[in-house]
Amino acid sequence: MDEKKAAILGEIPRLRRYARSLLRDRDSADDLVQDCLERALVRLDNWQTGESPRRWLFTIMHHLFIDQMRKVNRRGEAAMLPLEAREAQAAPAEQVESIASREIIDALQAISPDRRAALVMVAIEGFSYAEAANILGVPAGTLMSRIARGRDELRGLLDDAARRRAIRIVEK
Amino acid sequence: MTRRDFSERDIHMALDGELPVDERVAYDAWLEANPEMKARSVRYIADLAALRATFAGVLDEPVPARLQNIVFGEAPVKTAASSSRWWLAAAAAAMLAIGGVGGYVAGLDHLGLEDPAEDQLAEQAIAAHVLYAAEQRHAVEVPASDKDHLQTWLSNRVGLKLVAPDLAAQGFQLVGGRLLPAGESKAAMLLYEDDKGERISLFVTAESAEKTKGTYGSQDGPEAIYWLDQGYGCAVVGSLPRAQLTAVAKSAYSQLVAGLAS
Repeated sequence: MDEKKAAILGEIPRLRRYARSLLRDRDSADDLVQDCLERALVRLDNWQTGESPRRWLFTIMHHLFIDQMRKVNRRGEAAMLPLEAREAQAAPAEQVESIASREIIDALQAISPDRRAALVMVAIEGFSYAEAANILGVPAGTLMSRIARGRDELRGLLDDAARRRAIRIVEK
Repeated sequence: MTRRDFSERDIHMALDGELPVDERVAYDAWLEANPEMKARSVRYIADLAALRATFAGVLDEPVPARLQNIVFGEAPVKTAASSSRWWLAAAAAAMLAIGGVGGYVAGLDHLGLEDPAEDQLAEQAIAAHVLYAAEQRHAVEVPASDKDHLQTWLSNRVGLKLVAPDLAAQGFQLVGGRLLPAGESKAAMLLYEDDKGERISLFVTAESAEKTKGTYGSQDGPEAIYWLDQGYGCAVVGSLPRAQLTAVAKSAYSQLVAGLAS
């Protein structure tokens, strides 16, 4: 197996983690990774020697994610497929989530995709601002705005979740 | 040691390892002196730890065979429900987050896929500033010498009672103004200049439904400080040092709001 493929293989766990934070459902997240890998292999020649495989793959996957989300929004495709989408969403998560993890995942999903991606890229994946801005294709200032707003929204959503949890406990 | 003003922005930079090492001591001192910012920092640190912990386990999961097979060059088996359908779940999740099935279609416009209103306002304001502040002879449509007409005209067109703020205390004189498109509505741009020729602009639109404020930076370009409230949005754009731009923006904003209510 050549070096490029070995390098790609080594990045799969991190791609899966990023996809999971973007999409919640495990199978959907792996579908996104699959699309990303397929596209990457077709474009192996575009990958310049010396370029980090991580940055290259994350860029491909991010574009897939954002393009598709925009397309869905523009064509209103999602509106025509509510039942199917509901099923996809309702697919049972295989892992057992703690309450705290579930609240984090729910809150992340409620943040706009652009902000979610920026926050996750830096906070979880550990990219620098410069790297993340490069991958997302936005100026550093915009990246910072998205991270700041994303974090602020996340905080508010987690507070709401905690409040609802407290109310449920009181009601019991 | 560097001496500068810290802001909430620095909390994010510190958290993300982007704060220069030689500013760390001054930053920590600033945190200690600002209990509110300190609390914000502590909370963000906790949220960050929770965020990382939630997804840490994914790295230890065995890689699904179907993903490895793609890299090994074996033709992937695509089922109808498999690849390229992931976005359905994403869209559904976004809908459900908005308001359950009932909010499904109604929620389409609020998927959060478009740039948020404040980003649009700031980006439009910056674009206008970059374009017109650089113009010497044609920077404005109506010059400051015709201020009364300028205010009446822009007020009528934008649909707000617009009074050009007096920024002389900050060293800026009105150059004039112009009418601009802003999304599906209109915006007024007021241009100011100091005695060194440094220019700032005010961008005011009557279109806004949410209440928020913030700053928006463009790479190597001017920065926008904006406010959005029910019925109007305002951005102050310039390439001044942050503290100076903030001071100008505060003065402009309070005068604008007073003008709107007059």
